[in-house]
Amino acid sequence: MDKLKLEILTPNGKIFSGDVMSVTLPGEEGEFGVLAHHASLTTLLDAGVIDIEKEDKSVESVLINWGVVQVDEEKVIVLVEGAVAIRGESESAVVKALEDAQKLIADIADSNPAIAAVSARIESAAHKLL
Amino acid sequence: MANLKDIQRKIKSVSSTQKTTRAMKLVSTAKLRRAEELAKRSRLYAEKLNQVIAEIAGRIDCHKVGGINNRFFAKTENPQMVDVIFVTADKGLCGGFNIQTIKAVKKLIAEYQAKNVKVRLRGIGKKGVEYFKFNEVEMFDEVINLSSKPDKVRSDEFILTSIEDFKDGKIDALHIVYNGYKSMITQELHVTTVLPVDTAEYDCNKTQPQSMLEIEAQDEERVLDSLISKYVSYNMYYSLIDSVAAEHSARMQAMDTATNNAKEMVKSLKVEFNKARQAAITTELIEIISGVESMK
Repeated sequence: MDKLKLEILTPNGKIFSGDVMSVTLPGEEGEFGVLAHHASLTTLLDAGVIDIEKEDKSVESVLINWGVVQVDEEKVIVLVEGAVAIRGESESAVVKALEDAQKLIADIADSNPAIAAVSARIESAAHKLL
Repeated sequence: MANLKDIQRKIKSVSSTQKTTRAMKLVSTAKLRRAEELAKRSRLYAEKLNQVIAEIAGRIDCHKVGGINNRFFAKTENPQMVDVIFVTADKGLCGGFNIQTIKAVKKLIAEYQAKNVKVRLRGIGKKGVEYFKFNEVEMFDEVINLSSKPDKVRSDEFILTSIEDFKDGKIDALHIVYNGYKSMITQELHVTTVLPVDTAEYDCNKTQPQSMLEIEAQDEERVLDSLISKYVSYNMYYSLIDSVAAEHSARMQAMDTATNNAKEMVKSLKVEFNKARQAAITTELIEIISGVESMK
């Protein structure tokens, strides 16, 4: 299967950059998945979770609060305001990432009813790693 | 020839100034490193965001997508009122850093006034605010303590007025003037037009036909609105970060020059001091010798 390039940029720098198999994004109108050679589009993202399927088939989750994505045939560029990647070498690092994620969720909780679902999903993503 | 004691006092005073300037340089160097790191990390994001916006703006301009007639992208032919936001430092002692920005602002205002356009000046940073107050230039509002410690929440609050007023048609353009960081030793003055979004750089003929803008017709206004306000407020915030980095690099340089000047001055004062000292010894010797001679 072909790979596509994914870049996730935040005001504090790049949090993900590399080749991936597929990526699932929380679009404003609903979740959508992107594979290589996807038609170009530009759209907004809602608060939610980006699921990245990496080359070794492992899945990484990134929590975001708002974003805009630019997709073209070869690459996907995601610009987000606040993001926390759920990953870590050790158990404590995963727990720390989970705490950060929950803080970010608390920050955006006032405006969005879908937050509870996001919170549950991010926890299950972390539990998989533990 | 100056008195020995006077020269000594001068040397002492100059060297203590030198100590101060050297300390300030070291502080700025440390702060610069942090500010530079922050600016560097944000630059990528700012550039990409600008690219996305420019592309959307360009497409709307070229294809007149869905008859979008959005204020944010349309150039107003006869502006009535424009917003000029300037960012200066809260502190001085950083060479021409602040005055460069102020000059650019004055030039911009003069240009608009020549065209009979009202300018609403909004200031960030104590130095610039003080300058315009002293010269009795009317300011719409002012914020201090923001440019030395950029804060996203406060910057968003500040810029929101301009975004809302632009949306309501109270202002027709928004400019941000600030001195940005280029390298350790150079700063670059930016006079940017944030609103309306500049579509000039986008080449209509170069668009790939399969690329399309995926925005549902009924809520295109809302999508663009939210995208644009993020874009403008991020631009404001980035200006602040960039300005802080530039301020520290300017101050570092100014203080380095000051330290060197002080060093030179101490050197020449020391030469003068030694000359005076030798002259005094010679006079004393002559006095003794002539005294001995007269006793013979």
